[in-house]
Amino acid sequence: MLETLSNLSTYLGIVIVGLLIWAALSPFETLGWWAGWFGEKIYVDHLPSDGFVRAVRPGSPAYILFLSGIGRVSGETFSRREQGFLHRLALALPTAVVIDDIFPYSVNNLALTGQPFFARLWRWALRSKIDGPTVAGYLINIRNILQVLISADKRYGPIYNQAMAEVLLHGLLRYNYDLTSQTPVFIIGYSGAAQMAVGAVHYLRELINAPIYVVSLGGIFSSDPGLLGVDHLYHLYGTQDWPRRLSLIAPGRWSIFATSEWNRARRQGLISLVNVGPMRHTSTGGYLDMKSLLPTGVSYLDHTVAVVSEIVRKHAGVATDGSPQTAGGTAMEVANVGMPT
Amino acid sequence: MAEFIGMPSLWQNIQQAMRLDQTIFADIQRIPGGLGIAFVIVSLAGLSEALGQSVILFINRLPPKRFMLALLITAASHVVGYLLWTVTVWLVGVYVFGQSISLTAIACVVGLAYAPQLLAFFELTPFLGNPFSILLTLWSMVAIVMAVRAGLNLELWQALLASGLGWIFIQIWRRTIGRPIYALGRWLQRRAAGVPMEFTLSDLALLRRHPAWLENLDNWRNRMRQTGLRNNMRHSIEKLVKREQRRA
Repeated sequence: MLETLSNLSTYLGIVIVGLLIWAALSPFETLGWWAGWFGEKIYVDHLPSDGFVRAVRPGSPAYILFLSGIGRVSGETFSRREQGFLHRLALALPTAVVIDDIFPYSVNNLALTGQPFFARLWRWALRSKIDGPTVAGYLINIRNILQVLISADKRYGPIYNQAMAEVLLHGLLRYNYDLTSQTPVFIIGYSGAAQMAVGAVHYLRELINAPIYVVSLGGIFSSDPGLLGVDHLYHLYGTQDWPRRLSLIAPGRWSIFATSEWNRARRQGLISLVNVGPMRHTSTGGYLDMKSLLPTGVSYLDHTVAVVSEIVRKHAGVATDGSPQTAGGTAMEVANVGMPT
Repeated sequence: MAEFIGMPSLWQNIQQAMRLDQTIFADIQRIPGGLGIAFVIVSLAGLSEALGQSVILFINRLPPKRFMLALLITAASHVVGYLLWTVTVWLVGVYVFGQSISLTAIACVVGLAYAPQLLAFFELTPFLGNPFSILLTLWSMVAIVMAVRAGLNLELWQALLASGLGWIFIQIWRRTIGRPIYALGRWLQRRAAGVPMEFTLSDLALLRRHPAWLENLDNWRNRMRQTGLRNNMRHSIEKLVKREQRRA
């Protein structure tokens, strides 16, 4: 019995040390990119449009970039909930360009499954995530969480976020975005991707002329300088969403640090906190769940789509076409803008 | 095999030193090969510290081979720093506290005090690296005081005083007769880097990378269009093939 416990603790120790070494090595990808070790190429997955998402629309009044949560391995989403959300959002905003083929956890949009050395490992992790055992799939989450921490780090953030701005610009230009136009750009950052969105804004602003809005969907982000660079940040949160509180590991998000970027941006009126209801962070009961219903009878997914599309319409004047509506007023009114988090 | 080359002994010594175990600082002066163990620890700690501080090399965009070379030079400079500490502590012990102790014994204990620095590599950890580096600095300071106390057989307050005096001595040395040696070190680092090491961490906010593809957007658009067309054709063909297979 004692021997088994001892062996178990040894294995646990090896796993923890392995994770710590992995974490310490993780910035080399970002740093190597900056040093020019991996070339300048930005990779593209070349996913065909389904007629709604990833469709080029000449003269579009709004460009929407969707950055997925930490479960992704490439620019392609395998989550049916995310696919449903994007499809409904594109239907609600028929003239807007909705772009989702961006992998926000890579400095050059290179899919994990396309990496030169570890592609096989990530393909195995992805298969495990889809078919089981899911534990192996957590490797993907850990890897992507480390990238979120890199973006939030004062040493690596300026490098990673610059790369992310370049990837986002690349995405916009692939869908014929006019750099000289004033067409607003909306970046939806789900979960940890909100950090990527907020981090990139500061640098994206130097590359385009138009307003940039960030929609954080249960976002986890630090007090990044990018918060002062947004035209507006809408932080959508559910009251049952606990993981979003992980943002509090960044001291700048605490109210006692009055001069932090987060607190300054709040005082400047750049941030709206939007309570979208009793939603969880993900899966059943999450923001993108179409089976869970609000007391009004509207599904969580439809309500989230309604709130996001209303934000886009408010700033871009996009035409409405059968968008999901929330009973008893507009989605934003129901959503309680400005509730403290 | 591992025991033959003395690995368990080295590992145990490192563990004890990291735990700040007072006895190991006394024992290291007596065990055979103590100086060798100390030197291995200092060399590995130097390499770990060089890796932990390698962000600066990346910021200055060193190519991979130059990066490795600069890393080794930095590690070597840490070893030089260790020799300086050793001599300083020995001088303070002999001339300030009147102890009769060999330079080798001091080299052993001071080298062992570098054990916490073996973890300096973890300073690279995103977001948590900075707080860890503060912890590591404090840990190393305590280890140095323990080493001085054991090496010179002093009371705690005397060890604190000796460490403080040693630190002052090194600062004076760096700014006076040590300057040519530091200049030589910097020259070596510049030579190894092969690029002017002009940027530091504080410059990062102002540094920008200008991607080549953005310089000529028309060219880029043509390329992307052609790639897009090729991919669309590939996807259409794949769809057709799948449909035919299903029919068959």
